Amino acid sequence: MPILEVNDITSGYGDVQILWGAALKLEPGLMTCLVGANGVGKTTLLRTVMGQLRPWSGNVRFEGHDISRLPAYKRAERGLVLVPEGRQLFGDMSVLENLEMGATNRRGRPHLKRNLERVFAMFPRLQDRLTQKANTMSGGEQQMLAVGRGIMAEPTLLLIDELSLGLAPVLVLQLFKNLQQLKALGITIMLVEQNVQMSLAVSDYGYVLAQGRTELEGAAATLMRDDHVRAAYLGL
Amino acid sequence: MDFLLASLVDGLLIGSVYGLAAMGLTLIWGVMRVTNLAHGAFIALGMFGVYGLFNGGFNPYVGLFLVAGCGLLVGIGIYYVALHRVINAPQLSTLLATFAVNMIILGVGTTLFSTSPRTIDFSLGSFSLGPITVQNTRLLAALASGAITGVLYLFLYRTRPGKYIRAVSSNRAAAELMGISSTHILALSFGLGALLAATAGGLIATFFPFTILSGDTYQLKSFVIGVMGGLGNPFGALIGGLILGLLEGLIPVVMPTTWVPVIEFLLFVIILLVRPNGILGAKR
Ligand SMILES: Nc1ncnc2c1ncn2[C@@H]1O[C@H](COP(=O)(O)OP(=O)(O)OP(=O)(O)O)[C@@H](O)[C@H]1O
Ligand SMILES: [Mg+2]
Repeated sequence: MPILEVNDITSGYGDVQILWGAALKLEPGLMTCLVGANGVGKTTLLRTVMGQLRPWSGNVRFEGHDISRLPAYKRAERGLVLVPEGRQLFGDMSVLENLEMGATNRRGRPHLKRNLERVFAMFPRLQDRLTQKANTMSGGEQQMLAVGRGIMAEPTLLLIDELSLGLAPVLVLQLFKNLQQLKALGITIMLVEQNVQMSLAVSDYGYVLAQGRTELEGAAATLMRDDHVRAAYLGL
Repeated sequence: MDFLLASLVDGLLIGSVYGLAAMGLTLIWGVMRVTNLAHGAFIALGMFGVYGLFNGGFNPYVGLFLVAGCGLLVGIGIYYVALHRVINAPQLSTLLATFAVNMIILGVGTTLFSTSPRTIDFSLGSFSLGPITVQNTRLLAALASGAITGVLYLFLYRTRPGKYIRAVSSNRAAAELMGISSTHILALSFGLGALLAATAGGLIATFFPFTILSGDTYQLKSFVIGVMGGLGNPFGALIGGLILGLLEGLIPVVMPTTWVPVIEFLLFVIILLVRPNGILGAKR
């Protein structure tokens, strides 16, 4: 059974329709990536999955249950967790408090200690800055904190929007390695990325979003060889 | 000189209560971006709450606890009834919603209590320290304000609901993603704002006469203090209150009392022009 099913979602803002029938099926344990041009609606799709936007039609099923009507704040405790675009940290709160907030749902709370150790093992830099306010950290540190906060929630499915945006290549490489570690822990991951080459390289499966629809899908290796994908997204 | 010292001390004591009232206003603004025009009405309700309980045989300081609790509940109730539906609308809508609440409270209050001044007939005496005489009710009010500020700070920084309030204030959408119901937290914040206003009102009523319309004056002071201390910062509000209290103690020494509001609002405008984020430079 797929861990997440998005069935023919249409959605948008006000009168403006952005998604015209997006569909996904994520298999548990795999890393899937969703790519597409700027402004095509990738973030909008994630917002709809998280319940920040209501689907106009279609539904979202998580672990077999229709969660389309579940309030956004009740999704984290089911294990559905988003690392949002632009990090969206609690800027006036300390690094430690941000991590605590990540673990604040009923699911994450009992594992706070273990997950804190996990995060520190992955990002030792955060441990050195526990009392620093999130908004005074560098861009790279903030992204580590955003991912760390996601891990604290004890996710079964971790959605990550624009992990690599604006970060130095070395750090991007490290973060992608960290994702592999998370995958090895059994966490299902969906990556939404600008960096198409790299995300296809680390993913098992991929979707291409175009004109508000999931236009193309397939094993990541296959997509990488696809002429259309190569021309449109890889610049080859 | 002695007179000056006496009015400075008095100003500081009363100013700390102004600070407490302002905390209610700035908490609501800081967390939910709502300008609460019912703030003065909550202050007046606090005054009448303590007054009513006192006449019913309660010690005013015991009554204050009841008033604080009722303030919290009433604030939460008002959030759900009047604000929840417009919380994401443009700020004018929430402004008008709180204005409507204000008018309702004042209208009903005027009918029930008229506008003749009341006093709580209660005294704890006073003590003298050299040339200064301090009324114990004012000293106690100042101590209570300081203590409540400390408790509020601990609540916001050390308890889980307090951290939720800060998280929602910092990033409402992200807080929801973490599993925090922003609706509950906004309601709680509005309740706390009402609690602080009502408590400040109750304390003021132990030493000043009041009517149902008295809250207006203190609401205006809260706005002045808010811009001084920076909106959304409890200690900033307390310090702003002390500064305002000092000014109120000082101004009558050098010019007629009628100048007090003029100077206060001149200060208000100047601060807004020079330091739009408050003297203590809070965020945003
Ligand atoms: N809150 C909003 N209100 C109105 N329109 C919005 C809003 N957020 C996004 N949009 C519009 O929806 C469209 C899709 O935006 P979205 O952020 O989902 O794109 P994206 O695929 O994530 O792009 P990027 O790769 O740049 O992050 C864009 O045209 C954008 O302008
Ligand atoms: Mg996006």
